[in-house]
Amino acid sequence: MIRVARLAAVGALAASLACASAEPGREIVWWTPSWGQARAEVLADKFEAAHPGVTVKLEVTVADGLPTRIQTALRSGSPPDLIEAQHAWVVPYAQANLLQPLDDVIEDRGDFLPASLEYDTWDGRLWAIPFRIETHALFYNRRMFREAGLDPDTPPQTWPALVDAAKTLTRTNSAGRRQYGYAITGGGEVGNTLFRTLPLMWMNGGDIVSADLSRATVNARPAVEAVTFYADMLTRHKVSPPSTLQDDGLAIRRLFVAESVAMYQSGPFDIAPIRRENPALDLGVMMLPTPTGGEPAVALGGWSFIVPKDAKQPGLARSLVRFLAESENMGYFTDTFPARRSAMALPRFADPILENFKKMLTYARRLPAHKNWLQIVQVYFDHVQRVLVGDVPAERAMNEAAIEIDRLLASP
Amino acid sequence: MTGVPFVLPALAVLALLILFPVIYTGVLSVTNEQGVFVGLANYRAVAEGRLTATAVWNTVYFVGGSIVFQVVLGTLAGIFLNQQFRGRAVLRSLALIPWVVPGIVAATMWAWMLHTEFGIVNHLLTSGGVVDRSVGWLTDPDIVMPALIAINVWKLFPFVALMVLAGLQTVPHELYESARVDGASFGDEIRHVMLPQIRPVLVSVTLLLMIWGLNAITIIYTITRGGPANRTLVLPIYIYRQAFEAFAFHQAAALSAMFFVFSLVLVWLYLHAFAAQEGRP
Repeated sequence: MIRVARLAAVGALAASLACASAEPGREIVWWTPSWGQARAEVLADKFEAAHPGVTVKLEVTVADGLPTRIQTALRSGSPPDLIEAQHAWVVPYAQANLLQPLDDVIEDRGDFLPASLEYDTWDGRLWAIPFRIETHALFYNRRMFREAGLDPDTPPQTWPALVDAAKTLTRTNSAGRRQYGYAITGGGEVGNTLFRTLPLMWMNGGDIVSADLSRATVNARPAVEAVTFYADMLTRHKVSPPSTLQDDGLAIRRLFVAESVAMYQSGPFDIAPIRRENPALDLGVMMLPTPTGGEPAVALGGWSFIVPKDAKQPGLARSLVRFLAESENMGYFTDTFPARRSAMALPRFADPILENFKKMLTYARRLPAHKNWLQIVQVYFDHVQRVLVGDVPAERAMNEAAIEIDRLLASP
Repeated sequence: MTGVPFVLPALAVLALLILFPVIYTGVLSVTNEQGVFVGLANYRAVAEGRLTATAVWNTVYFVGGSIVFQVVLGTLAGIFLNQQFRGRAVLRSLALIPWVVPGIVAATMWAWMLHTEFGIVNHLLTSGGVVDRSVGWLTDPDIVMPALIAINVWKLFPFVALMVLAGLQTVPHELYESARVDGASFGDEIRHVMLPQIRPVLVSVTLLLMIWGLNAITIIYTITRGGPANRTLVLPIYIYRQAFEAFAFHQAAALSAMFFVFSLVLVWLYLHAFAAQEGRP
């Protein structure tokens, strides 16, 4: 009995301590992805110093499975106070009534790239504050270009030229190693393949869904041609490595770093890791090639701050967002480009390798905003994989995808 | 009767932990998001789903393929480890490693070892001249399921071996001796002495393997997530996707209920075929 009493006493003590540390107005929980952890820690310390008595508790997330984990947390009733989410996830969350509007958090909207604010706007209100923006471009290995007899200063600009270059670059090199011209993704999170195929549709005059979100257009000719062009890199031209179906953006970057792959599409966040892991690699960046005579297009990507509807410290979370969205802090925190134009003037964005990424930003478009978007993309990706595996031709796969997407667009 | 009040709290906890989720799943499966009774609409939606048949077939393939090799390999390993030889104790401990390694660790390790480009398996095969081109262990639609079955067999055959070994050690020595007096070879000993004696062990181990196999999610989800092109989509992953990726909880509940019946039928068939004879005195 004595032992039981002692246990009870310890339990009561622990409970009272727990209550003390959870005193209202003290702790903000901030979910930040692993790649920005070090910078987040610096900013959290700075914020704590300016707000005595407030602690910012960082919980580090990883990219794998993140959209699912955020959704689950938002629906759990006890989410963190501040989350970093990709722009495209914001409106579906808002439509599901999971977020707090943040209209009053920023005053000088004119300083933000308009497309980034549009991304986070729904029903006339702003549901998140964009802080990081980026688009893809095409990385290429200049040495491999030279060795294959291609001119690294005039990289391909059209789809046919890209296929030709990729075929020339797919060969057994002088060291006897097999190398591939152009790596595409076919595995990992659905976003990897979405960001590499949707721009092809746009450049070709197509889309996954119609502009008014009323019906699927993924089986119309421009979209089917784009998917065919993409999948052909693996199935017909065999210029993408055999591991394609298990490769996400990270895997193809590793293949590029290992100089097993000569070209691949990705964002400016890959520059630092490539330079760190293979300093000798002669790196080039080109704009995304277009269909002959077409205009470039690319998906605007990046991240925004969201405050969950059920956040326990909404007031403090807003102050933290306001602090993080200040020009200088945003310019420091972003992995790629800042959503604020004033922050773009910082010296870290003057690197010449960023030139073509900046140019691509002017062709950037937002992804469609529909509350079932995540499911629509999952369906789309499933069917793209069937094409990559060689189960069915693109036309049939996209016809079947369209039936399912139409159902998701119509569902309440 | 005096004992009843004492076990009541435990019973209440058990009811809460076991009965509540089961009943709640049942309720979810026949209602919609507004909580309105919709009859079998969710079941119909699931049955008509494009992927349901694929998931059922993949599950049967995965569980069936795993069990056959787990039992055969496990039994052979068990018989081998029951023999007298130097280093037996060390080998017995080593054989348990795959079973002891946490599933998530094993799965991640195999995912890297079998990677088409970076994997050590392909590196050894190509540099050793066994194959000229990298094998798409996890990308080739015809190879990926056998590869996952092989990993699952690797993971669980030591468990079968351990149970067989324990079963063999209860076999009285006299049986072997009398068999030898009658001129039995080692093969005859296995067939007529060992296997009949460990039959009850094998029956219950197979049942366990079946239940574990049906519920297996760690290895497949970690390595392929059900891909490529749903070639390794098994029912537990399909249910998880419906519930936590599509947030279609009601359809996921209907799918779970159907999966429960499906498992029940499989287990019943199995018990009917094997265990029933065993139960006779």
